[in-house]
Amino acid sequence: MSIRTGFAEATEAYQLPRLIRLGPNLFAAAFTLMKMVPARFILRRAAQDGKLAPGTVIVETTSGTFGLALAMQAVHLDRRLILVSDPVIDERLYRRLTDLGAVVERVPAEAGQIAGGYQAARLHRLHEIMATEPATFCPRQYTNPDNPRSYATVAELFLEALGQVDCVIGPVGSGGSMCGTVGYLRSVLPECRAIGVDTHASVLFGHVDGKRELRGLGMSLMPENLDHRVFDHAHWCSAYAAYAATRELHQRHALFMGPTSGAAYLVARWWARVNPDALTVVMLPDEGHRYLDTVYDDEWLKANGHLEEPVPAEPTPLEHPRRPSSGWTSYGWARRTHDEVLALDPLPAGSGPADPAPARDSR
Amino acid sequence: MFDDGTGRLRRALVTMPQPDRGSRAVFYPSHQHWGVLGTAELTKSRRAAILALREFSGHPAPAKGGRVEVISDVPRGIGMGSSTSDVTATIRAVADYHGVALPREEVGRLAVMAERASDSIMIDDRVVLFAHREGVVLETLGHRLPSMIIVGCDTEPGARVDTVAFRPAEYDDREIGAFQVLRAALRRAIATDDVELVGRVATASARINERFLPKPQLAQLLELCRRYDGCGVQVAHSGTVAGIIFDPRRPAARENAQHCVSRIEEWGLVITAMIGVQPTWADLKASA
Repeated sequence: MSIRTGFAEATEAYQLPRLIRLGPNLFAAAFTLMKMVPARFILRRAAQDGKLAPGTVIVETTSGTFGLALAMQAVHLDRRLILVSDPVIDERLYRRLTDLGAVVERVPAEAGQIAGGYQAARLHRLHEIMATEPATFCPRQYTNPDNPRSYATVAELFLEALGQVDCVIGPVGSGGSMCGTVGYLRSVLPECRAIGVDTHASVLFGHVDGKRELRGLGMSLMPENLDHRVFDHAHWCSAYAAYAATRELHQRHALFMGPTSGAAYLVARWWARVNPDALTVVMLPDEGHRYLDTVYDDEWLKANGHLEEPVPAEPTPLEHPRRPSSGWTSYGWARRTHDEVLALDPLPAGSGPADPAPARDSR
Repeated sequence: MFDDGTGRLRRALVTMPQPDRGSRAVFYPSHQHWGVLGTAELTKSRRAAILALREFSGHPAPAKGGRVEVISDVPRGIGMGSSTSDVTATIRAVADYHGVALPREEVGRLAVMAERASDSIMIDDRVVLFAHREGVVLETLGHRLPSMIIVGCDTEPGARVDTVAFRPAEYDDREIGAFQVLRAALRRAIATDDVELVGRVATASARINERFLPKPQLAQLLELCRRYDGCGVQVAHSGTVAGIIFDPRRPAARENAQHCVSRIEEWGLVITAMIGVQPTWADLKASA
């Protein structure tokens, strides 16, 4: 019973997704910049709580879109922002961040070789900055409970627009979007299922850390905000499959999204088809601009070997997340904890995708 | 707790109306004495009458004070909104004496002044999210709730909850987020006439309430609801009553509600409401 009005500021306009029907029982939640949801919530709350005095510097470690969202909100709040990033940060993103006034520090390339990789090196540098700046505020997207909490507004939108949601599928990074959105949806719809989408050799759902090709997806450190008990299934998607799905999303539905969205769409399209009675929502976290020269370039795809294999029509179920995994794989996580799932592994510790020992079927 | 749109959190509720119960107040004006007389249980109504009189001071023919009498069939002290019912009737009676029909929001504001916390029964032309300790409508959720069958019972016969003395719940951030989601779900439920969704919202709200004013039979009621094809369970957040919600459009809804009445009575609990359980005139005509 309200009329449409204007937005108070750009970040408000950016935060909520558009719900777009992709199929009889499949909706996309297409975000311009999903990380705006936690970034805006966390910073506004900090300002309300008096944690962002005029001289306070906002500091965060990120090489991705969370930094962009923080930089945008920092403009509205008129606060300085220092971001600690990888040396491999996307050049366009770097230009956009610095244009918004953010200081972007890049950890040295050698840091990628040490244990924990860039993520550990970034955290180390972050702590150095916090020790030297007189007043800092760190949003800590990986541990701050306000990250998942901020997604109540997304759950609110889903419920108001759709009423019934049987399954939510989305890429997982910090855990905030999926755990937050699904957690809140389940306060009204306890049976709503959750499917997390990750990439091979990411630690999030039990794989052994290793080299990953798919940018924007996968983690080397376990984020505290990831509550594994939310997830009914986990899927792992390789770069070529995610890229092909990204292009299909664009070509078939005119949705111009990035490859993490493509990975989620790959899983959602299949899930919605094999569960025709389940109303499914797929989270598409950001747009494709940064990938025009790569994922959206056929020559690049070809030169990098992403067009060599056909995209699988369905996932290959894994007996356990520690088994070798490639292409597109899945595992029935069944709302268990990470430790519970790892304890189910019948093979000796250390076996897995990164282990040179040949995998064997133990049953 | 709900964001009022400006970032401020305010306590608010949505009232489940009880169309077949109510209070009737009579105000006897007096030019002889100040103050308003009435029986001991009418403390809040007497205060409401004084506040209402003060609103009309300066109006032609003001009374100094008076006496108030209330007849009500709303069970008292169990969370069915008996005092708000009395207070609302009293304020309307005083207004009527002055020949004025007060706007509903104004009755709400006076009611909260008189009794500190009120249900929103005086806002009877729409469904509202009502800041029950401030007397302010935060949002109009829709025109009316869908038609529902409700079987209500007192989960703790004999226990009484004093609304005024009852310490307001300290909701945590997660619960406040959940309320935001429930509010959106209820908006949709009203707009689409969806009893199922109203029931789900009520159940979710009941579960949140368990941390503050637990209902000993909530698990049993939910089980009963599931077994008899109900849509959800609503509870009083400052009282002992609870109700099972049924969708009248579902087959055998009335029979199922009737079964629940029997089961609840077998547990030794008192049935406090049977809304829509009895056949309607149209049903009787159809079956004749």
